[in-house]
Amino acid sequence: MDKKISVKVCLGTTCFVMGSANLQELIDTVPAKYGDKVDVSGVPCLGLCSIDWEFSKAPYVKVDDEVIKEATVEKVLKAIDEKLK
Amino acid sequence: MFIDIDCSQMKKYNQNAYGDYFVSKRYPDEARLVAVLSDGLGSGIKANILSCMTATMLLQFISNDQIPIRQAAEIVMNSLPVCKVRHISYSTFSAIDCYDDGNAKIVEEGNPEFIWIRDGEVMTPPYETIQSKTFKNRRMKVYKIKLKLGDRLIFCSDGVTQSGLGGGRLKLGLRREGLIVLLKDKLAENPEVSSSEFANYIVNQARNIETDRKPKDDISACVLYFREPREALIFTGPPFHQQKDKEYAQMFQNFKGKKAICGGTTANLISRELSIPIRMDSTISVGKLPAISYMDGVDLVTEGILTLTKTLEYLENGTLDIDNAAGKLVKFLLDSDCIHFMVGAKLNQAHYDPALPIEIEIRKNIIKKMANVLQDKYFKKVDVQYM
Repeated sequence: MDKKISVKVCLGTTCFVMGSANLQELIDTVPAKYGDKVDVSGVPCLGLCSIDWEFSKAPYVKVDDEVIKEATVEKVLKAIDEKLK
Repeated sequence: MFIDIDCSQMKKYNQNAYGDYFVSKRYPDEARLVAVLSDGLGSGIKANILSCMTATMLLQFISNDQIPIRQAAEIVMNSLPVCKVRHISYSTFSAIDCYDDGNAKIVEEGNPEFIWIRDGEVMTPPYETIQSKTFKNRRMKVYKIKLKLGDRLIFCSDGVTQSGLGGGRLKLGLRREGLIVLLKDKLAENPEVSSSEFANYIVNQARNIETDRKPKDDISACVLYFREPREALIFTGPPFHQQKDKEYAQMFQNFKGKKAICGGTTANLISRELSIPIRMDSTISVGKLPAISYMDGVDLVTEGILTLTKTLEYLENGTLDIDNAAGKLVKFLLDSDCIHFMVGAKLNQAHYDPALPIEIEIRKNIIKKMANVLQDKYFKKVDVQYM
């Protein structure tokens, strides 16, 4: 596979207080597990909570184009595994 | 011109209150600054009360514009009570009323004469003496001067000029002459020194020449520095009307000075309108706040409300050396003289979901409080524009 998978962790206010602060370990564990096949970074805001505010499922993480709601480290790793299959 | 003003103080040895009192107020609309330094008789709580009353009353008189500085000072001089024990007046004071164009009026009663330094030389301005009608031993000096870019004014209490008095090396204390030597040396070494550093330097030097480094009197130094303003802009929150995004982004781009963006959505907006890509730091959070990101041409990019709330807390508590996004924003603010806020009025409903584990403040309120702290505690010139 040539193309890198991109993982974007939303660090906007809502996501941060709803738990993206706890996703820091992705920055360390993902490169250790997948090498350079996956690229993890924070983004200032994915803009998802303001669209979906009534049913906000923050924190949001984007794995390529797939939005992961109420993201946890496990959910994100699972999504990466799916993509790499 | 911007007037960089700060005061540094030290208590008399073994006292738990300052006997000198400094107050200052900036009037951005009038491009004006009023400051008063008062030295209360004696030391400790008693002196603190006397000097505090004198300084705040004078400031109040002058700043409400009801009474010109000269008359205000005269009233205070004529009405200050006399100490029963020492038979001298309860407090002494220096007051300055100055404008950004360099025009300044200064009155002094009892305090050491102020020092005016231009291009490394001490100026000797003319003054008028006003004798008190009620007390023979009281007279005040009134100065009307015109300041230029780069000028400095130094006011101090007699704790500075009399430091070292009776000690080994300086039997008569530092005196005005000794102080001038110190000031000139410091300026030769660092011509651009900020008022806050300069005031700290004076106070520390005065303490150092006291026997055993124990101040025998309260020591205060107030410094004014007339210089080019350092401008800064903080853009936070998306504009209420989305169709105006471009216009405001352009204003942000055209601003001359340092720039900061506080807010994820806001950063995205500027990035989109001005086609500047955003790069994130390689961490997610530092010190319980989201990490900063980077954009070319922008000096600081942070998350919004959480960082602003923390920044306000640091500014209020005087915690100035923290290595996280809020700490960086504090440094950004304090390194500037004139701070403009562009505050977007659009709210993100998701922030007010009761399910959120912490309460999120309304942006406008935080900025209002921050503007007040910056103005009152750090003597910055602040203006806020809502969009």
